[in-house]
Amino acid sequence: MKNNKNQSAVSNNGSRSRLAAKIYKYRGFYLMFLPVFIFAVIFFYLPMLGIRFAFTDYNGIKEATFVGLKHFQKMFSMPNFWSAFTNTLVISVVKLFLTTAAAVVVSIFLNEIINIHFKKVVQTIIYLPHFMSWVVTASVFSLIMAPTAQGLVNTFLVNTGVLTSDSMIYFLGDSKWWRFTYYLINIWKETGWQTVIFMATLAGINTELYEAAAIDGAGRWGKMRYITFPALQNTILTVIILNLAKVMNLFESAFVLQNDAVLDVSNVLETYIYYQTFNSGAIPNYGYTTAVGLFKSLVGCVLVLICNNLSKKIREGRGIV
Amino acid sequence: MKKKVVSLLLVAAMVTSMGCGSKDSGSANADSGNANAGAGSETPATESSEAGGDAAEAPSDVEKPEEITIMVDGTVFTQENGQAEFIAKLEELTGIKINVTQPDHDAYYDVVGQTIASGEWPDVMILSSTYYSGYASEGVLWDMTEAYENSDLKARQDAYGSTSVIDGVRLDGKLYGMPATRGNGCVTYVKQAWLDACGLQAPTNYEEYLAMLEAFTTGDPDGDGTNGNTYGVSAAGFVGTEAPYINYLPEFYQDANPSFYLADDGTWKDGFTEDSMKAALTRMNEAYKAGVIDPTTLTNGTADCRNKFYDDSFGVFTYWAGTWATNLKTNLEKNDLNGELVALAPIAEVGTYLDRIPPVWCITSTCENPEGVFKYFIETMQDGGDTQFLWTYGVEGVHWSTAGETLFAGTENEKVYEEGTFHMLENKESEGTQYTKAHIDPMLALVELADDPLAVEPEAKASAELFNANCVTADLVPSTDAMTEFNGDLTTLKNTLIANVVMGEKTIEEAYAQFEAEGAQWSQSIVDSLNAQ
Repeated sequence: MKNNKNQSAVSNNGSRSRLAAKIYKYRGFYLMFLPVFIFAVIFFYLPMLGIRFAFTDYNGIKEATFVGLKHFQKMFSMPNFWSAFTNTLVISVVKLFLTTAAAVVVSIFLNEIINIHFKKVVQTIIYLPHFMSWVVTASVFSLIMAPTAQGLVNTFLVNTGVLTSDSMIYFLGDSKWWRFTYYLINIWKETGWQTVIFMATLAGINTELYEAAAIDGAGRWGKMRYITFPALQNTILTVIILNLAKVMNLFESAFVLQNDAVLDVSNVLETYIYYQTFNSGAIPNYGYTTAVGLFKSLVGCVLVLICNNLSKKIREGRGIV
Repeated sequence: MKKKVVSLLLVAAMVTSMGCGSKDSGSANADSGNANAGAGSETPATESSEAGGDAAEAPSDVEKPEEITIMVDGTVFTQENGQAEFIAKLEELTGIKINVTQPDHDAYYDVVGQTIASGEWPDVMILSSTYYSGYASEGVLWDMTEAYENSDLKARQDAYGSTSVIDGVRLDGKLYGMPATRGNGCVTYVKQAWLDACGLQAPTNYEEYLAMLEAFTTGDPDGDGTNGNTYGVSAAGFVGTEAPYINYLPEFYQDANPSFYLADDGTWKDGFTEDSMKAALTRMNEAYKAGVIDPTTLTNGTADCRNKFYDDSFGVFTYWAGTWATNLKTNLEKNDLNGELVALAPIAEVGTYLDRIPPVWCITSTCENPEGVFKYFIETMQDGGDTQFLWTYGVEGVHWSTAGETLFAGTENEKVYEEGTFHMLENKESEGTQYTKAHIDPMLALVELADDPLAVEPEAKASAELFNANCVTADLVPSTDAMTEFNGDLTTLKNTLIANVVMGEKTIEEAYAQFEAEGAQWSQSIVDSLNAQ
């Protein structure tokens, strides 16, 4: 028994000295890593100490008072919280699939353009909306979608006989239409940017494959079906998986496009936190909003782990974390 | 070596001065303040500073602070707009070294929250009504009631008819902050050309108001030859985002209040639960259905409304009194439209406009010499003399001038001033425009400024006077734990129900059934907590 302990101690000492030797050997790399490590500790890990406020009543003035799970009990009993939670998941996931699908389709179309100059011009034009701020985007679309003679979409629908001037649709002010409009605006804004990664994949497809397919009698659709789509498959999955991990982070786009009449379908967790903080007309209890934030992070963390597992299965052992 | 020693000494001196805060005081400094007060360039108010009550020079047993730290928002000159010169002049007049912390205006209350949480409180800070009542109830703010009651400032404000404004910021009779101006509020502007085109007079009651809106909506008030392509009235949402929430559509709300208010019997009530609110919702729903309210009111921002007003899309706009009257006029004229606007006196059913609770200057409870800060900093801000002049118009040569000169030469905004004519100078942050004021809006002052040049346009002055003569101060709602816990959700629910009823998605009965089921309990908890105070 004593011998075993001694062996174990010797083995531990041995591995420690080996580790120390390795660190010494690669000291240059460790030295280079040090600023990153310090940065991560200061900006990512130390702020996590704030999680403790989720279990306290804290208004930023008096000492925080420990209240256990009180805020979580309140949170789970609030209909607005559950509505925001559901909206976050639904809006984010649908948006992700729609914008990805749109980006794939647009990429394939772009890839089919033969004139290189025209292709570049089109690419540049469709990238541009990505760089427009959400505030400006919301302002522009409020005007375009307005239920008045100044609203481009409604005027078009009236002029083409789809609607009458008395039945114009308030796209951004009607719960039935809000999400549809939101997805549409997101597709307009983000599709171009998302094509970058798909265009890179398409550029990497060996052109000999297309030549061989043409010799075998494949038309344009055949080439797409048997060469382009399979080549894009892995990239599509990677993009979806990587973005699925971020679905809980949704604020700006929803915040600038929502209004009082559509909160039941547009209020997401981050806007819920915002309203809890700034709508109370009193000094907010940061304990409650921290609890909501913590819950959101936990759900996000679970999604990351699920995506990591999916990624490992689909990408032959390559995870995302 | 010598240079190094000198540098080190300078650094040490700077660090020491930064760490001092407000703290030390002494008669020697008071003297230096007195000596400086008379120096520097003369302002138009200098001659009558005696009449204004020069607190900085009055002999007193209250010690003058040597140095203070103040936290201010963007309503005080920013660094780009000559803050350094402004503070230098203020230091000269008060004899106090003033350290300024000025976060970004939009992020001001984030930074205030962080500063309070850090425990490193400034001596003085500006707070809006929400934060004022919240911080007062948590003991962050010094109770200045006694200092105020015994001050010359009270006499000056009472003499100028500002007592109600001060009473409006009292919490349970106590004063924790001092407004520098009235809160200001909105008056209803009507385009005179539209009234003329429809052959109407300015309305005096709701019936006439509604008839005017209908005429503006169905007729051709803009004279473009097409009937029915304009709206009567527009607003940024059906309910405001800050108190008083009914600011932008007062003719429809009338006596209704969607939030908490102090009733005549001295108890707090939730106005949303009352019949007056239901009647207001009915009025708005009917008007919206009739098309006299802009259909995009729900999604409008204030900038959208202004632009539509300038484009002649609608004719009635309830917006800020004072300077905005001039802005609306000049922007209409820029679009080659008639800029003449009628500022409506409140219609009979409205009775009075609501004066917003003004932001207040507060002294924190950690300030070591609050009496001194009140007397030599807060009180002098409204001394009716040189210091008030500085807070109202800024620094000569930087913000205003009496020199003969031409501003914006060669542009369509060119302005020529003769020697001796008081005028504001070009705004350094907004090229092509002039400063309109410093921190104190001269039209909203609480103390009479001696020899005030009142460099404001006549329409701005007229609308401010109309508002001041027809307003009451909104209730300051105290902060309670129940409010913190429930009011976020409750406000969201109320706003949603208001929008749903006005736009016809829910009947009033359905909306109030939902309110009973989801929000009535929260509302009652808040009312109980307010009445228990």
